[in-house]
Amino acid sequence: MALIEISSLKKSFGELQVLKQITFDIEKKDVVAVIGPSGSGKSTMLRSLVHLEEINGGSIRVDGDYLVQEGNYAKPQDIKKITAKMGMVFQHFNLFPHLTVQQNLEIAPGLLKTEAPDAIARRSEDLLQKIGLADKAKAYPANLSGGQKQRVAIARALMMNPQILLFDEPTSALDPELTGEVLKVMKDLAEEHMTMIVVTHEMGFAREVANKVVFMDGGDIIEANHPEEFFTNPQNERTKAFLQKNLK
Amino acid sequence: MVDYWQTMILPMLEGAKMTVLLFIIAILVSIPFGFLLTLAVKSRIKPLSWLAHTYIYVMRGTPLLLQLLLICFGLPMIPVIGEYLVLDRFVAACLGFILNYAAYFAEIFRGGLLAIDKGQYEAAQVLGLTKWQTTTRIILPQMFRVALPALSNESVTLIKDTALLYAVAVPELLHFAQTAVNRDFTIVPYFIAGAIYLVMTLMLTVVFKWLEKRFKFE
Repeated sequence: MALIEISSLKKSFGELQVLKQITFDIEKKDVVAVIGPSGSGKSTMLRSLVHLEEINGGSIRVDGDYLVQEGNYAKPQDIKKITAKMGMVFQHFNLFPHLTVQQNLEIAPGLLKTEAPDAIARRSEDLLQKIGLADKAKAYPANLSGGQKQRVAIARALMMNPQILLFDEPTSALDPELTGEVLKVMKDLAEEHMTMIVVTHEMGFAREVANKVVFMDGGDIIEANHPEEFFTNPQNERTKAFLQKNLK
Repeated sequence: MVDYWQTMILPMLEGAKMTVLLFIIAILVSIPFGFLLTLAVKSRIKPLSWLAHTYIYVMRGTPLLLQLLLICFGLPMIPVIGEYLVLDRFVAACLGFILNYAAYFAEIFRGGLLAIDKGQYEAAQVLGLTKWQTTTRIILPQMFRVALPALSNESVTLIKDTALLYAVAVPELLHFAQTAVNRDFTIVPYFIAGAIYLVMTLMLTVVFKWLEKRFKFE
C-alpha cells in the first residue's frame, strides 16, 4: 500500500476548475518533485493534503486512513490525526515573528505535549545543529536571512516527527544565492529517506534529488516519470514546451 | 504667598487624582471589553456580529459628551425605571467612558487582526495547534504589537477627554482650575492645569514607548 493515495481529486474555485482529475500514489521514501506553470494547481493539490484546501471530489488516503473518501471528509478529530502525519514548509516561511527561533521550534510540541519537555529541548537543539543555526536559537525571525528562515521553518516542521514533508515552493521567495543552503538541507533529508513532496521551480533539484517528477498543467497531471527519463525523453507536447522554456 | 499657591494647587492635584482614577478604570475595563467587541464583530453568529457593528457605529458616531449627558441626566428621566438609574456621577462617567472607548479599542484591535498574514493561521493549523492555542499564543501577541501605536494614541486622547467630566460636574482637574480662575481672576491655573495634563501624557507616552520596544521582537 502506498503511503499517500490520491484518486480523482477535484477542486474548483467558483467556475474555475483548478484540479480536474488528479490521481497518483506516493510510496514511502519517495521524493516527488511537482513542477508546472503557475496556476496549474500544484500548490492547491499540495495544500489539500494537509486540509488547507477543501476538495470537492475524490479521495485522499494517508497511511491507510482516508482523509477524504469520495468527497466526504473524515471526522474533525480524525482529520487532525491524519494531517499530523504531514509537515509543511511554506513559500513565505510563515515563522512566528514574536517567538525566537528556539520557541518557533518548541511551541507546537510543547503545547501539544507530544514529548517530555527535556526531550523537546534536546530535539530542537539537535535540529538547529543539523541545519547549522545553533547560534541563532535566541534570535528572532526578523534578524534572519531568507535562507535561514526557511531552514528554521523546515526544522520546525521536523519537530512534529512527520512521516511526510510537504514543500510549497520553498525557494521561490529567496534570493538566488540563498536557495543553495535550503536545497542542501532538503537534499540531506532525502538522503535520510524522508518522504517528501516538493512543489518547485528548481529543475536542478527535481533532476538530482527527486526519484519521481510530476508535471502538472491546467489542473491535470500531464506526465509523471523517473527524473532521468522525464528530462531527457519527455513524452507529451506540453511537457516538451514547458521544459524548453525552463531548461536553458 | 506660599499659602496662596497651596490653596490653588492642592485642590487641582486632588482633581488630578480623580482624572487619573477615571483614566485607569476606563482603560482597564474598556480594553478587554473592546477586544470582546472585536471578537463579536468577527463572530460567525450573524446577529451577534451585526449587533457589535451597530454598537460600534453608534458609539463612534455620536459625541462622547452627548453620551455622558445621557447617562448622567437622561437615564433618570426614563419613565418608571428612571428612578433606579440614578447613578453616582463618577460611576456614571466611568460607564460612559468605558462604553465609548471600548468601541474605539475594538476598531484598533480589528485593524491589528487584519494586519496578521493568513500564513500564520495556516502554519499553526498544520503544526496541529487548536483554534484556542492559535488565537492566544500566535495571533493575540502579534495583534497587540501591531495595535500598540494606535493604543498609545487613543490613551493620550482618553487622558484629555477626562476633562469632559467638567460638564457633568464631577470635580476633576479642570473643574478646580476653573474655580481658581473665577475666584482669583487670574489665568495662571489654566497653565498649571495644562502642565499637569502634559505630565500625565508624558508619563503615558514613556510607558507606551517602553512597551513598543519590549514587543519589537528583534
